[in-house]
Amino acid sequence: MGGLFSSQSTAEEGESAVIAVHSAGEWAKNWQSHTQSNKLMIIDFAASWCGPCRSIEPAIKAMSARFTNAVFLKVDVDELPVSKQWKVQAVPTFVLVKRGQEVGRIVGAKKDELQRTIQLHLNM
Amino acid sequence: MSSSREDLLLRLLLLRLLHLASLCLQSLSLVASHACHPPPFSHLIPSAHQNSSINPPPSPLSSHVHALVSPTPSTPFRCFYHRRGMAVSGFEGFEKRLELHFSGHDSLGLRRLLCDALAQVLDAVQCTVVSAVGNRYFDAYILSESSLFVYPCKMVLKTCGTTQLLRSVPCLLRHTAELGLRLRACRYSRGSFIFPRAQPFPHTSFAEEVLYLEERLPPSLAFRKACVLPSSGSHSWHVYSASSADDDERLAAGSWSTFTVEVCMTELDRSLARRFFRKKGDERSGDAVGADMTDLTEIGSINPRTLVCGFAFDPCGYSMNGLDRDSYSTIHVTPEEGHSYASFECTGRWAGGRAEVLDSLRKAIGVFRPGAVSVSFCMAPNVDENQVRSAVGDALEPLGLCCRSQAAEEFPGAGTVTYQTFTPHRE
Repeated sequence: MGGLFSSQSTAEEGESAVIAVHSAGEWAKNWQSHTQSNKLMIIDFAASWCGPCRSIEPAIKAMSARFTNAVFLKVDVDELPVSKQWKVQAVPTFVLVKRGQEVGRIVGAKKDELQRTIQLHLNM
Repeated sequence: MSSSREDLLLRLLLLRLLHLASLCLQSLSLVASHACHPPPFSHLIPSAHQNSSINPPPSPLSSHVHALVSPTPSTPFRCFYHRRGMAVSGFEGFEKRLELHFSGHDSLGLRRLLCDALAQVLDAVQCTVVSAVGNRYFDAYILSESSLFVYPCKMVLKTCGTTQLLRSVPCLLRHTAELGLRLRACRYSRGSFIFPRAQPFPHTSFAEEVLYLEERLPPSLAFRKACVLPSSGSHSWHVYSASSADDDERLAAGSWSTFTVEVCMTELDRSLARRFFRKKGDERSGDAVGADMTDLTEIGSINPRTLVCGFAFDPCGYSMNGLDRDSYSTIHVTPEEGHSYASFECTGRWAGGRAEVLDSLRKAIGVFRPGAVSVSFCMAPNVDENQVRSAVGDALEPLGLCCRSQAAEEFPGAGTVTYQTFTPHRE
């Protein structure tokens, strides 16, 4: 994990702070720390077979380095069934949660829209 | 492969004769095939093929190609409009469409193409990715000029404006070869450009496009055909297909369960077209405004099962990709008056899905209430094309649209292509 400094520039400068979750245990742990904090969490539901997921990955890494007061989680929809609970129909799907509640959702690799939505919720 | 000049001229003369003969036959069959009378296509030039400057291909066509090419009539430019950075008169809504089928040994196939590879392909075409999403069956990209769909074995690239779509072919063939994928079939189709003189090479004429593909497709695609399906106006439907297998092989392989339908609409209802302009002062993203447009125009309810991703361009224009299991749908809108255009395309399974598709067609066309519509199906050769054509006519009747012309053509290894044009009933 990184996220030592926030940066306005590309992923090359900031270190990615995206937490990749690979097991039910890891998910539970991250979910628990989320509910115990006030931080905005962005869950990136992605798949290895999806081109659009690959295409937006560098931008997500850059955002995680830039928005250090948010938590970025990445879930592979084939690895964990939690994506079904979150009703993920297409990938990538970004679900924004605060205090355990969904506050925003973006379906698709929509960099601009995701960034604006994150900023909106961070400013609240 | 070289020919003497005399041989070449003889071949060209033969082609011209064939072309003229086929035009006569086609216009005869048009008159005979149905009871609709030829309408005034008020926005189109009434007598087509006047400017008979056929640009013959400089080298002989392969013996399998039956090229019936006709020149596109020149259209006077009617307005000057800056859009998407182009200083040409009027944005060209009519798309060029390329469908490529590959075979390979793994389940991911084309979806393994790296972002860099795709970016290079799109670079060659001169467009970029604006938004993208995928499901278990395929990836869908909204481009600065229309759409791209990537399945494991199939790719559909549709671009408008003055993009050089066919330049994607050599680039794609290089990258797919690296993945161990082999091209099995190619189909290129388009309507008639509103601003044909604005088109760059190789889209300056259908003959040029055919030649470009002829020179770049592998010889293993031995079954080839180029044809222009006519209408009773000056618009035509241009189709080129090349396939490594013929109809019998494909039918035996059961590879023809799906069809594609392409709808082109012009003279959009002005108040409906205005919905595709961004409001001044609205600073939201193209995705957010696009989602609003999807809701406002009820594009989202054309097929309730479809996941719709809409995008609004600045200052106007709209694109959407829809995902419904392994079927895609796509809509593109050029709302500017004088050259307004909208397209709707989707795939589906004819068996059992017919009513739904026709319903979608009617709803999609209803969003725009156009003054002229063309509908083209590409489907398995054993589907009854007369049934399809009359079903489409029935579906569009409630919209007050009357079929003015219909044509169909068989493309070996690619299926049957139909082409129907509609305009509103006269008062």
